[in-house]
Amino acid sequence: MAMASRLMWASRAASYLKISTCPRAFSTVIKDLKYADTHEWVKVDGSSATIGITDHAQDHLGDVVYVELPEVGSSVNQGKNFGAVESVKATSDVISPVSGEVVEVNTELNGSPGLVNASPYEDGWILKVKLSNNGEVNSLMDSEQYSKFCEEEDAKH
Amino acid sequence: MSLQQTLKAYKFGIVNYLNALKLQERLSGERKAGNIQDTILSLQHPPTYTLGKRRTDHNLLLTESEVQAMGAELHYTERGGDITFHGPRQAIIYPIISLRAIGFGARKYVEGLESIMIEVASLYGVNAHPGKAGETGVWVGDRKIGAIGVRISSGITSHGLAFNIDPDLNYFKHIVPCGIRDKGVTSLRREAQMQLPEDEVIHDQLIQSFAKTFHFKDMQWSQVSRRPPPAAADRRRLHPTKCSAGGDGQPSAANYTQLNVTLVN
Repeated sequence: MAMASRLMWASRAASYLKISTCPRAFSTVIKDLKYADTHEWVKVDGSSATIGITDHAQDHLGDVVYVELPEVGSSVNQGKNFGAVESVKATSDVISPVSGEVVEVNTELNGSPGLVNASPYEDGWILKVKLSNNGEVNSLMDSEQYSKFCEEEDAKH
Repeated sequence: MSLQQTLKAYKFGIVNYLNALKLQERLSGERKAGNIQDTILSLQHPPTYTLGKRRTDHNLLLTESEVQAMGAELHYTERGGDITFHGPRQAIIYPIISLRAIGFGARKYVEGLESIMIEVASLYGVNAHPGKAGETGVWVGDRKIGAIGVRISSGITSHGLAFNIDPDLNYFKHIVPCGIRDKGVTSLRREAQMQLPEDEVIHDQLIQSFAKTFHFKDMQWSQVSRRPPPAAADRRRLHPTKCSAGGDGQPSAANYTQLNVTLVN
């Protein structure tokens, strides 16, 4: 009950201050991941990396019905699109946060594209790459920077 | 509320599907580069079936040669959504806008497109509503009056919405529209109890509703080409034949040149 009234107060205060809120005011952001301003995350493990889209991204997309996966063996480049996601009759590009060679794709997404919504940081991972340039990760945001970035984006409307 | 720029609207008559696609690709590139402002295209297509990125051609109940024999075209696209039909008397609106600039995601954008069609339907006393989850689009009861299929690339939209003013609904019999069986299609003409104005009025209302919904401060209008007079359109509707290139108000080379000049300036 106390939590509910705190949320109510927060909502009213936010409206008064003209800040937009929603029931899920803050999307989940995982520490130790790196983030692109196009809402993809990357988990670096030595010279390998796993890539997916963030909770903020899946929430803004709606229910994902299709994920276009890249070919294993193909290259991805930082800032360039490598595939697409379809939701609510819209196809949205997915941009790679790093450059490298695709070593594995999450074929589970072919039968269960909704994993991207249900588990964006774990079961909904999209691809794994062998990094061609470890230094690129430094140009990405950490979890705090990304949280702030999301708040600023959501405040635009 | 962020400062929204002017929305630039280009109004066409009947435009061949591939020509419209090429124009959208060019405009998207220009918008991404920041060379042009948010833009919206208003047009109609000759009889055309289109498929989305998932290529669900099992929902087309004809062969390609049967499609051609009836004077229609078939195109595969990168947009979201399933199979649909476009034709004369169906309002096509293609917004080329930056979603990133307004912090919108796909879901919010598509909800905006649905609300535009619902609002315009209500102007004619038609009570339309968005579809259930997984059935994006606009419905009157269980009959679909408006379809959506969008592409978002580098945060820039293309493709858009198709709103049935009074197209020949027989064309829909040859597809499972949007992959949804057991649901019909309808039009404003069928649902409204009142006389409808000229198509152009409805196109303009859709654009104005778009501008309002997405908080544009101002609009600029440009009439690029016109639809043929109603008599010709009705004849084509009853006896569909392949639309010849260059006729029927399609943008001529001169019109494209005009657009190029506008874009460069």
